[in-house]
Amino acid sequence: MTVAIALSSVLSALVLVLALVLPSVSSPTVPFGVRVPAQRTADPTVVRQTRIYRWRVLGSGILAAGIGVVMFSVTGEPLLLPMSVLLLVGAWYGCFFLANHEIRAAKAAGGWYEGLRQGIAVDTELRTDPPRFPWLWLAPALVIVVVTAVIGLIRYPSIPETFAVHYGANGLPDRMAAKSVGTAFSLVFVQAGLTALLAGIAAAVFRGRPDLDPARPAASARWHRRYISLSAKALLGLAAMIDLALLGSSLLMWTGTVASWAPLVVVLPILTAVVVAVVVLARNNRERFEGEPETGLTHRDDDRYWRGGVLYLNREDHALLVPRRFGLGWTLNLGNPRSAILLAGVVAFIGLVITLRFGA
Amino acid sequence: MILNLDLASEVPLYQQLRDRIVEAIAEGVLTEGSPLPPIRALAADFGINFHTVNKAYDLLRQQGLIRLNRKTGAVVTSTVADAPFREDWTARARTLLAEAVARGLPADEVLTTCHSLLASFRTGHSGGTP
Repeated sequence: MTVAIALSSVLSALVLVLALVLPSVSSPTVPFGVRVPAQRTADPTVVRQTRIYRWRVLGSGILAAGIGVVMFSVTGEPLLLPMSVLLLVGAWYGCFFLANHEIRAAKAAGGWYEGLRQGIAVDTELRTDPPRFPWLWLAPALVIVVVTAVIGLIRYPSIPETFAVHYGANGLPDRMAAKSVGTAFSLVFVQAGLTALLAGIAAAVFRGRPDLDPARPAASARWHRRYISLSAKALLGLAAMIDLALLGSSLLMWTGTVASWAPLVVVLPILTAVVVAVVVLARNNRERFEGEPETGLTHRDDDRYWRGGVLYLNREDHALLVPRRFGLGWTLNLGNPRSAILLAGVVAFIGLVITLRFGA
Repeated sequence: MILNLDLASEVPLYQQLRDRIVEAIAEGVLTEGSPLPPIRALAADFGINFHTVNKAYDLLRQQGLIRLNRKTGAVVTSTVADAPFREDWTARARTLLAEAVARGLPADEVLTTCHSLLASFRTGHSGGTP
């Protein structure tokens, strides 16, 4: 119970801090997902909307926390607490969309793009001399999966014929299963699947299309190289920490340990890794230009491909992953048929996990 | 190498792409043996049509500036200016210089510009349009 409360509080705090910080770490030429020319980044509308957005987010945070507390005190059901996190995320999107809408209106009314030369910049060296994928960062995750499997093999004979595979929020077992390779090693399969998925995403990010600023393409390209390398390392580090959490969870399952601190074994490593990854990416999310002379070109106005300011849908674009406009990292090009295949794969994987964990 | 395309320009994209690559060769940013990205990858990076990049690469291949190979992809080749090229280039230079004269640009200024442009290309081999 205390774990559920702590987890929801930490997650809410993380979402809140991220929501408040994002306008400062997102590209200044895309305030709230609206592409604006460089000379409009400090436009009064943008400044005002940023201020209003922050107040709204803060208010939503207090409201979501209040609703969470009331729901918990009325029902006493700790499972409802993560709902307050979802509520906060929903409210956050609302705040974002209002700011997005106002800036879009000001941009259209003011003709912000009139008389500007729009361009696209590409750094060919990203293809002919690509940065090296940080393979070494994949090693910890792989080692942990192998270690888990080996410990499982050693312990397998001593696992009782029926054992607990799921624990309630209070730390007591609430589901038992007959011993088999599928049940005993279920978390090892999850480890392997998640490691493959996160490594796949890291590889896709690595090959993904950069969104260079045509005004300062060289500095922009340098930043992109650094950012994809950091992102790949963050993802592989996250994979290792999730695997570690699942190793701990497997050990508890195989030894039949029942303790109130058991959920922490899963929650702590994953939460730590998520916080570290978010902080590292947020600190490096904004491009820094080191005195490169401007080329006179402006990034092209690509607002029409962004639905609701956050979903990218462009059928003519063959890229699978594109840099997020508001937020950290990348997002899928929903106009690409491969996105549908990928999403189906993720849904299938989650389905498989659920069947393995909760199936008869 | 940074390639910038101007979407507002009247010059077609494939022509811009070809011009930028020729300039990079003249400047020595690309030398003999320098690889160019595969057509599909470059088109995806620009977010433009495959055929636009294909057309630019095809022009460069016809002009003997790059070699397209199934295995090695597009590679910059060394080329020697032959007689037909010299004739063609002179004709185009004539038009460009005529524009300068017709618009009243002083001959001194034209010559200075030509000199400084040539000086900005590290290697002096012909290959750039004036």
